[in-house]
Amino acid sequence: MDEPTLIARSRAGDLEAYDHLVGAYQDRVYQVAFRITGNREDAWDAAQDALVRAFQGLRSFRGDAGFGTWLYRITVNAALDIVRRRPPRVGDLDPVWTAEADPAAVAARRDVQRRVHQAIATLPAGQRAAVVLRDIQGLSYEEISRIQQVPLGTVRSRLARARESLRLRLLDLAPAAPEEDRE
Amino acid sequence: MTRGHVTEHLSAYLDEQVTAGERERIEAHLRECATCRAHLESLRHAVALTRGLDPVPAPAGFQAAVRARLAGATQPRRGLMFPRLRLSWKTAGLAAAAVLIGVFSINLLRGVQPARVVVRNDLESPPEGIAGAPTLRGDRFATPKTVAPGATDIAVLPTVPTMRQIIRTAHLALTVEEFDDVSRRLVTIAETAGGFVASSSYTQGSGGPEGVFTLRVPAARFASVLAEVEGLGTVEVRRVSGQDVTEEFVDLRARVRNLERHERQLLSFMDRATKVSDLMAIEQELARVRGEIEMLTGRLRLLGSRVEMATVEVAVRQQTKERGGFWDFGASLRRMQGAFLATIRQILAAAERLGVIASALVPVAVLVLAIWFGIRAVRLRTA
Repeated sequence: MDEPTLIARSRAGDLEAYDHLVGAYQDRVYQVAFRITGNREDAWDAAQDALVRAFQGLRSFRGDAGFGTWLYRITVNAALDIVRRRPPRVGDLDPVWTAEADPAAVAARRDVQRRVHQAIATLPAGQRAAVVLRDIQGLSYEEISRIQQVPLGTVRSRLARARESLRLRLLDLAPAAPEEDRE
Repeated sequence: MTRGHVTEHLSAYLDEQVTAGERERIEAHLRECATCRAHLESLRHAVALTRGLDPVPAPAGFQAAVRARLAGATQPRRGLMFPRLRLSWKTAGLAAAAVLIGVFSINLLRGVQPARVVVRNDLESPPEGIAGAPTLRGDRFATPKTVAPGATDIAVLPTVPTMRQIIRTAHLALTVEEFDDVSRRLVTIAETAGGFVASSSYTQGSGGPEGVFTLRVPAARFASVLAEVEGLGTVEVRRVSGQDVTEEFVDLRARVRNLERHERQLLSFMDRATKVSDLMAIEQELARVRGEIEMLTGRLRLLGSRVEMATVEVAVRQQTKERGGFWDFGASLRRMQGAFLATIRQILAAAERLGVIASALVPVAVLVLAIWFGIRAVRLRTA
């Protein structure tokens, strides 16, 4: 079954069809939730909330923005809701158990991953969502602008500010990085 | 940053999200400015780090959980959607009236009782012997926004998550006639209430012996203990406070639950892990999670005990004895004056109470009248 059919049937209340959609989108939804909330517990709750809300709100989905974009918007909102409601608990653990042979390499890699993850988690909410959508999910500026419901210029400046904060926080991870210019 | 630098455009430039004109300017500037070139490199690196983050797939069981939640949310609703009830206007009206009156009366009860407390509060040392009054007073003091009378007794049980969790504390300063006698009786009061004296101190001051006692008593007995302690002498300072820790409770419990879920997940990872390095990493994380769970439950337990056992701090000072002859006329006069004033205050308090109840009944009376007229109008139309 193709996606439009699945969406149409889910809208009619077909849980089976929606289950297929969840299967297709769960990783994207969960990843966004995880990077925005910063930890697994909140990510689980946010992603669950998002997918439940999406099912209940499918009626209002008009199909002009694309299902993925629409779902991203719900996910970002659900994640930010949770962040707002609970005190931030950043970097509960590093995301993945990488399967590399060399323990030292694994440790170093995990350290970098944790640093980046924590740096993202310290960004202000709007910037965090923007950078997650752009650099982790690889969405275009136009899509982000539709998801966050802000003008393109705002996406641009959010990303610029977010990346600058990340750059400063991760300076020591970059061998060729200069100090912040002091002119 | 000097004029002409292009740092704020570099992010968009990396994504090729700049206009042709901007691009030209940026590139021209980059050719000349080493700082901006370095900045661009460093920014590129930061972006690469973010892009290099490992993908985080949804955990096992995630999809099934969504499905279960949706199935749980949609099915029971169906049965309740169309109740087959055909109500006549009259029955509907009567039912609505009954509900409204019920709600009003509950509100009335809620509204009136704290008012009584405020009245009592104005008496510095209320006369003893009014059964039930002390309990009411103490509870209201500690929980100004309690839901309903009687609910406070349940609120002290830490196992009921939605009940208000309140830490009650009272500070009393008493002047007493016989210090030793009072200190003995404080211990008795605490013990008969099922509590204990957590600490006591004693000094021989210039005016006579002084001491501070900290009583811990079950929250349910807080008010009666307070009344008993107050009866031991003249109350000079009386401060009762209730700290609502419900939110912290709920939050802690949620965090423990989350961590436990996380722990279970880790354990399931462990069953599936094959590499020694993976096992070790999981083991380490498990230890951390366990530690955090222990810490949080410890805090929960501490809060629970603070909620269960209220604190009454009593500062006791012995009155300097009058060395009069066989009859202390001044003291008798003071007692007479006190009794006289107490009676007047009680009469005033009762009058005020009557006024409050009467004014609270006014809206109900109006409502009943309105409903009665409404029903009559409907009847006349149908007849």
